[in-house]
Amino acid sequence: MSMLEELKTKIKDELPNLDWVIGWKQGFDPLQATPHFMRTEQDVDQLIYNPLCAQNLATFLPGMKDKKVGILVKGCDSRTIVELLQENLITRENLVIFGLPCSGAVDVSKVRKEIDSPGRITEVTFDGGHIRISTKQGSSSLALADVLLPKCRTNPYAMPVIADHVFGQEEKAGPCGQGESPALEALEAMSLEQRFDYWQYHMDRCIRCYACRNACPMCVCRDHCIADTRDPHWLSQETDVQQKWMFQLIHVMHLAGRCTECGECERACPMDIPILSLRQKLNREIKDLFDYEAGVDPEAVPPLLTFKVEEANINERGW
Amino acid sequence: MNNPYLPDIATIKEIIQETPNIKTFRVVLNDQSRMEEFSFKPGQVGQLSVFGVGESTFVINSPPTRTEHLQFSAMQVGEVTTRLHSLQEGDQIGVRAPLGNSFPIESMKGKDILIVGGGIGMAPLRTLMLTMLDKRDEFGDITVIYGARSPQDLCYTYEFDQWQSQGANLVLTVDREFPDWDGRVGFVPAVLTEEAPSPKNKVAITCGPPIMIKFVLKGLKDLGFEDEQIITTLEKRMKCGVGLCGRCNIGTHYVCVDGPVFTYAQLKALPSEL
Amino acid sequence: MAAKTFLTHDDIPTWLDTLRDAARVLVPTDVDGTVKFEAYDSEREIILKAQATAPPKEAVFPQTETLLRYRYYKDPEHPETQSVDLKEDLPEDKVVVFGARPCGTRGFVIYDRVFATDAITDPYYKARRDNTAFITIACDTAEHTCFCHWVGSHPADSEGSDVVLHPVQDGYVAHAVTEKGEQLLEQAGGQKASSDQEKEAQAVQDRVMEELGEAPDLSGVPASLLQIFDNLDFWNDVSAKCISCGACTYLCPTCYCFNITDESYGLSGKRIRTWDNCMSYLFTLEGSGHNPRMTKAHRLRNRVGHKFSYYPELHGGVFACCGCGRCIKHCPMAVDIREIILRAKETADEQSVSA
Repeated sequence: MSMLEELKTKIKDELPNLDWVIGWKQGFDPLQATPHFMRTEQDVDQLIYNPLCAQNLATFLPGMKDKKVGILVKGCDSRTIVELLQENLITRENLVIFGLPCSGAVDVSKVRKEIDSPGRITEVTFDGGHIRISTKQGSSSLALADVLLPKCRTNPYAMPVIADHVFGQEEKAGPCGQGESPALEALEAMSLEQRFDYWQYHMDRCIRCYACRNACPMCVCRDHCIADTRDPHWLSQETDVQQKWMFQLIHVMHLAGRCTECGECERACPMDIPILSLRQKLNREIKDLFDYEAGVDPEAVPPLLTFKVEEANINERGW
Repeated sequence: MNNPYLPDIATIKEIIQETPNIKTFRVVLNDQSRMEEFSFKPGQVGQLSVFGVGESTFVINSPPTRTEHLQFSAMQVGEVTTRLHSLQEGDQIGVRAPLGNSFPIESMKGKDILIVGGGIGMAPLRTLMLTMLDKRDEFGDITVIYGARSPQDLCYTYEFDQWQSQGANLVLTVDREFPDWDGRVGFVPAVLTEEAPSPKNKVAITCGPPIMIKFVLKGLKDLGFEDEQIITTLEKRMKCGVGLCGRCNIGTHYVCVDGPVFTYAQLKALPSEL
Repeated sequence: MAAKTFLTHDDIPTWLDTLRDAARVLVPTDVDGTVKFEAYDSEREIILKAQATAPPKEAVFPQTETLLRYRYYKDPEHPETQSVDLKEDLPEDKVVVFGARPCGTRGFVIYDRVFATDAITDPYYKARRDNTAFITIACDTAEHTCFCHWVGSHPADSEGSDVVLHPVQDGYVAHAVTEKGEQLLEQAGGQKASSDQEKEAQAVQDRVMEELGEAPDLSGVPASLLQIFDNLDFWNDVSAKCISCGACTYLCPTCYCFNITDESYGLSGKRIRTWDNCMSYLFTLEGSGHNPRMTKAHRLRNRVGHKFSYYPELHGGVFACCGCGRCIKHCPMAVDIREIILRAKETADEQSVSA
């Protein structure tokens, strides 16, 4: 039995005890996966699992705290679950976690640009580290490694760190944890002025849709975000780059040491702004200061949710 | 071109502290000819601006029959109302008015009138009632059931004697017993049921908190009022006030233009999104 | 209609340079991989091969617009009293939008029925609308997310355009739609299009129509949506994967809901109008704390209802949707509004049968 068939069988077994099982199915074309909320066996038959299944479904969990939910997670997504558990935003007893191996998730927006054909995609297949995309005009093959989401390279967990049912085996071929974030490395190499110009340039095209915020599983203020409210009136509704940049800074500060680098913010951005690198930067700072990595140990307390009188790496008295 | 977003500048002439968190503002448009030309119908609303803070919607609760000032009452709940409450007599505000529809006062002529209000919901009812009291002989009996949580939460108390002397039957109630309170005790819908007004040749107009309206509507139906005999006013979050900005709609109807006044029959025909 | 003109690819930059003398010319431009309308700059490539990421909505309906400015004055004689002055900020620029697709241009026709009517005219919208011309490019390809033919349009629709360019092998067959368009096209040079070129343009249009496939009949949808208004199971189901962000509304050529807020700087400040998003909880939150659309299901119901029921009810059956598919393509979760309206119709039909 293939892994997908095993998975479907297990989901069908669990389904009667659950309100939903959240997985993926094909979206509007063969290149697009979309979250799939399964309630019936027929729903389960539509389930897909391949490198197109990029969405981190754990984003939906805090909104369903009282429901019994089954959820499919890749390695990186599972870290979100751990972090949500650490912060008491979800209830472990209400969750059934189906853990899946990941060999990298495709950046669909990058693929659409690469194939340079805006027409209809008729078929997408995967073979030997390649993705083949067919249109009426012909087909093109791209190396998977070239079209993965930026998070894939930096996230070291190909297999889930928490799961009730685990499927498949760790695929060493995957790019997980194979390198640093190119965007972050580029930023680090810039002078402060260059970085400022870089963000001015990129944030200028932000449309303030807050897809980044709403796709973020760790964004807890939800309907009471300072970006929208006038109480406090920290941001205006103007669309100048200062407002947009200010929001990113606030979001990033709020996520320091909590962000599991699932990359949903950047994937969700319709204007393709490379905002994951900011979260990664703050996480590196947290790692250096507190030797802490978000979302791997359900028992750990995130460093900014607690305090020590004397921090080992912060010299509070000596300056 | 007439700019619907451009307010008139107005001066606050008088501020009355109605309740611990409600103030009444009597304002006059600075442009004397605009003030003289200003005409509206009872039930219509206005957008008041505190420049730098924003706009909020309030019913014009003075009657069109009294033109020395325009009166608005505001409960302190948000940013604009908090700033409004901090203003002094003589301060300048913006007024965009009149907006929206009005009570179908022509069709009420010759009929008995039942007004049922709660808390600041008395504001739109005040303009209607005073309009009718100022043309007393065009209407039948005018009965007003008005309630609030406590005696100090009743608005316009200083006018009650005048209302009665002009011919309104006033039934006042508060939610529970209070020292020195000699009116009724109980929720407005319960008092309505006790009073048991007959629906014959009558129009009932109600405004108050959503939960009160819900039970008043039920009470009126139990008393035999037809849907067409019951009128209420709705409140929604509004911005533009002229049917464009898209937030106050209930289905195809925009509360800022097609409302705030609706008969119960009209309300029932709308999608249930109150 | 005037004769059609053939323009080569090389004619375009020359034309745009000429147009730039009298107006701000906006063209689809690549900004780090996304395509948006920016001021024409002969140094930068104009991206015409596919639909732009963001439509040219800002040309007529900027995301931020100053409605008025105010200033308080203190009277030196009576420092406790202040007077206030207001100043309208009506726009005057002339703009030419070049290279939008018919769906992006047609969005403004949908706005017109709201912002410039006998009952009310929005002077800011009207001023920009009157001062903006559209040179639109008919589509030579259909994306998976395209559904203009579902909502009464087609890939070469000229509604709302002043000039339409039909792509052919070596350039465009152009024709003016309005008088304003004739004046613009006169400045383009070019030559009279041959009948073969006209046939080629027609063939492109026919091919794209064929790629789009059969359109479902949506005539019953406005009624269906009202019929299932109270079916919250349905709305919970179709909104389950929605994350309630504003990518769909802000990229939509027909979404026009807006907010009005004040910004103060000492004694002066401004009142601005900004795009607002009906998918946001705060959009309808009332001062009392009551919210008539408190869940994303309520909000999605209003968004779909506005486009496919309320607007058509008020405006002769025309949908407030131009079928560009940006809401589908750019949705982080790939929520598909086509699927929602088809399911709504199906659900309403089932309800009718079982009733």
